[in-house]
Amino acid sequence: MSPDLVRDILIATVPLMVIFPTLFAFTTWLERKALARIQNRIGPNKVGVPLTRYGGRFSLFGLGQPLADGIKMLFKENIVPRDADRLFHLLAPILALIPAMLVLCFLPIEFPWTESLLPVQAFLLDGAVIFFFAITGLNTLAIFMAGWASRNKYSLLGGMRAIAQMVSYEIPLVLSAVVVVMMVGSLNAAEIANAQAGWNWFVFTPWGLAAFVIFFIASLAETNRSPFDLPEAESEIIAGYFTEYSGFKFALFFLGEYIAMFAISGLAVTLFLGGGAGPGIATLPWLSAMWFIAKIFALIAVMIWLRGTLPRLRVDQLMGFAWKFLLPLSILNILVAGFAHFIPQENIVSKVAVWVVSLGILYMAAKGLNQLNRPNVRPRDYKYAE
Amino acid sequence: MSLLGGGILKGMAVTLRNFVGSYFDRDRLTTNDYAWRAGDSLPQHAGEYPKEEGEQLRDTTTVSQYSRNFPMLLHDEGEAMDTIRCVACQICERECPPQCIYIEKSTEKMERGGNKAQFYPAKFDIDVSVCMSCQICVEVCPFDAIVMNSQFELSTSNRFGGLLLRRDDLLKSNGYYHKIHPEEAAARDRRMAEEKAAKEAKKKAAAEAARKKAEEKAKAEAEADDKKQEDTQ
Amino acid sequence: MSSATATAPNYELIQQDGLDTGLLEVSMGPHHPSTHGVFRMDVKLDGETVVDLSPVFGYLHRNHEKLAENMSYLGSMPFTDRLDYFNSMTNNWAYALAAEKLVEIEVPERAEYLRVIMAELTRLVNHLSLVGFFVNDLGALGTPLLYAFREREKILDLFEQASGARMMCNYFRFGGLRNDVPEGWLDRAREVVDRFPVFLDEYEKLLCENEIILSRTQGVGNLSRDLAISAGITGPMLRASGERYDLRKVDRYGIYDRFQFRVPYSDGDVGDCYDRFIVRMLEMRESIGILKQALDGIEHGPVLGNAPKVFKPKPAEVYGRVEAPKGELGFYLIADGTPKPYRYRVRPPSLINLTVLRDMCLGQKVADAVIILGSIDIVLGEVDR
Repeated sequence: MSPDLVRDILIATVPLMVIFPTLFAFTTWLERKALARIQNRIGPNKVGVPLTRYGGRFSLFGLGQPLADGIKMLFKENIVPRDADRLFHLLAPILALIPAMLVLCFLPIEFPWTESLLPVQAFLLDGAVIFFFAITGLNTLAIFMAGWASRNKYSLLGGMRAIAQMVSYEIPLVLSAVVVVMMVGSLNAAEIANAQAGWNWFVFTPWGLAAFVIFFIASLAETNRSPFDLPEAESEIIAGYFTEYSGFKFALFFLGEYIAMFAISGLAVTLFLGGGAGPGIATLPWLSAMWFIAKIFALIAVMIWLRGTLPRLRVDQLMGFAWKFLLPLSILNILVAGFAHFIPQENIVSKVAVWVVSLGILYMAAKGLNQLNRPNVRPRDYKYAE
Repeated sequence: MSLLGGGILKGMAVTLRNFVGSYFDRDRLTTNDYAWRAGDSLPQHAGEYPKEEGEQLRDTTTVSQYSRNFPMLLHDEGEAMDTIRCVACQICERECPPQCIYIEKSTEKMERGGNKAQFYPAKFDIDVSVCMSCQICVEVCPFDAIVMNSQFELSTSNRFGGLLLRRDDLLKSNGYYHKIHPEEAAARDRRMAEEKAAKEAKKKAAAEAARKKAEEKAKAEAEADDKKQEDTQ
Repeated sequence: MSSATATAPNYELIQQDGLDTGLLEVSMGPHHPSTHGVFRMDVKLDGETVVDLSPVFGYLHRNHEKLAENMSYLGSMPFTDRLDYFNSMTNNWAYALAAEKLVEIEVPERAEYLRVIMAELTRLVNHLSLVGFFVNDLGALGTPLLYAFREREKILDLFEQASGARMMCNYFRFGGLRNDVPEGWLDRAREVVDRFPVFLDEYEKLLCENEIILSRTQGVGNLSRDLAISAGITGPMLRASGERYDLRKVDRYGIYDRFQFRVPYSDGDVGDCYDRFIVRMLEMRESIGILKQALDGIEHGPVLGNAPKVFKPKPAEVYGRVEAPKGELGFYLIADGTPKPYRYRVRPPSLINLTVLRDMCLGQKVADAVIILGSIDIVLGEVDR
């Protein structure tokens, strides 16, 4: 390995390791603030820069809160249950963070400082999409490790749920990404992003839209976000796999979870939302990275919004939803995409026809699957006694 | 769209409306900053949390004039112990459901406000860690001597006895009562004045009756005397 | 009750899949986020399926009944607030009703109206918080609960203005109410009542059509009508199982015979969590109807009848009951001619509704056990007393 390559890799990756944890801190603030407003509360608004010793401060909408939380986390006592497996109890949060950080490197974000250094090997891996799924799969292991090592029944239940959930939802996740790979003919993330330059985002195609929705739902489950937050379901199993974690180890889990959210949203942006494409990048190339991150934040905002709205599914319904609904639908979507690709779409009429027919097929299929899965679930009528 | 995400979208519309509404609609955003009034700039001593009694009284966001917390003893205008209304009859002590009042009667009687000399409480303790703010002592008191305070900043660093309020902690002037519960205090004063007027009228009537009776008696006696004198003459 | 004995796990519920897997015994509570206080469920799980469940309670026992037997009749009034601390007004009413039967006091007209107003406002408070907590148990991150609490605040403000306290009101007295409501209170109450349906519409839009809530609650925790009746279930839970029974209609205590209102009940024989949830939503609308009529009909007058100065009833036995938001709340008093009751007994709806918990939970998932408990609507202050 030449020194130059090492230098290039450092310059390309170290900023990522700085930027995303900073964004994580911002996202925790954003999430708390947005959830508070959804729930008609004010949210964090006090922590800021104190001006004098006796009060008066520069509170900046509570933006200092993540910092204060971080400091608190660092100084909290590290408690390990007596019967816990100390080694794995320690390794689990680290293992949860590493894969999430690792896949960030494969996101085709064109930072201004990376451009001059291209080609950096880490960024142009040809099998980036496959690599992404392979690495994120490790996360499952970390979570089960935490659940097992804690020697707590709730943690164990959480870990079991996590395994079942993440393994199941990986399949619709991959199958909906396959559509894009099929169309582009490459597994290279940068090439996929380039194929959507301008406004040719894949989400603006019928199959792309369907695949995006499936991908988004599955990514919620992959990152344990509401309504699929079963492994950490508070009202059922306390905090699931991290019940027995405190202090800095908990902070690592927390960080890993948010970084995983960034990573999977980044992949969604790459696959469906045109990567760094957006107005103004022709003149100002550095805007591309801004657009990329803005799109990630748009997806995260929807995740927060969903979290503020929805209750969670039950474990059997969750599995049923993955295997009996999303999986057939994503396979059907691959077929639809294949057919749609070979129908010539020169004029507007044929384009509209393709849209209507493809979405119609998918909608009917979804309705049918829903009917098959839950035949008796519907609002009921009630009577009144005078 | 029924049963295929339509309900979820509807719910998301509701939460979105609340999200936006919380910025514009005061009715939605019901949360108040606890430590100071909404709209005020930050207080000078934000760090000094337990507020002065005067500050608490002005605080309109945290306590309304109808709220009650723990009992206090009333005294009229003047030196507190000279005008204390309580006569240590110990009815409240007997009636208190959680038995949190302790009273010791004074040994000698004291005259106040020109009324008949009465006992006064040598000791009057309320353990507010036991008190449940039920207001039964106020209801049973025949002298309007005990009413409910609305002060809520009672935290103390002393676990043992810190929450035991002594007589002198409990003594508050009628003016203070008017300040914290204006409507209730006015009604109470009105009723007391009426009762007093009625009592005085009754007294007057009784005195009048007594005087008349005495006059009649004197008259009768005088007449009898006259008769006697006539008889003797 | 079910045919199975209370201790043995239901082995027929264990899946025979050839795997030799043991049962996982989980003690949910007393410090569990969703057991609504200090309540414990000893759950035996096969995977995620509940094969046995035994409720353990008594952590909040405060000796309410024995305390009351050593206290004057009036003295236990503030303690009734602490039974079901969400609904102090209806608790007060039930106790006042029992005591009024002992000495036969006439309650003035205005007091009767105010009692109905307070009781129905309490019903709104209770059902609001119940639905909020229930959806919270389902996993919504507090949003419906906080919306419910936002509206509850407005009603609690009314309670505070009337009685001086937000939750421990201690407002009812034998023969009426402690004091009249302050000036302008009725207008404020009307404002709250008039705006309440707007909130209910929003709430229904948020919850009642949500696919996740529908599929989580329907067919979960079924309680048949027969079991409900034989277990003595009352209140919305009984009506959700399809029985038409409401003490406001049966006893017509107070002045409930003057109001036009309907009692919602589930038509089918399912009685699942969804029914219990919707019946309460519908009941809130009916309560608003009663409140509007009561606020229209109320007139000026005294609020406290000629109650005796010393409450010393002749020897008698009485039972006073009201339709509390959770079910039939009754007070059974035996007077022996002294100022203290000889026997004082509470019939708490929460405790009796809780007795069917095991029957509803067996065979369900562990996540369902939590929402079934939530849908029963218990308050541990009342269960343990």
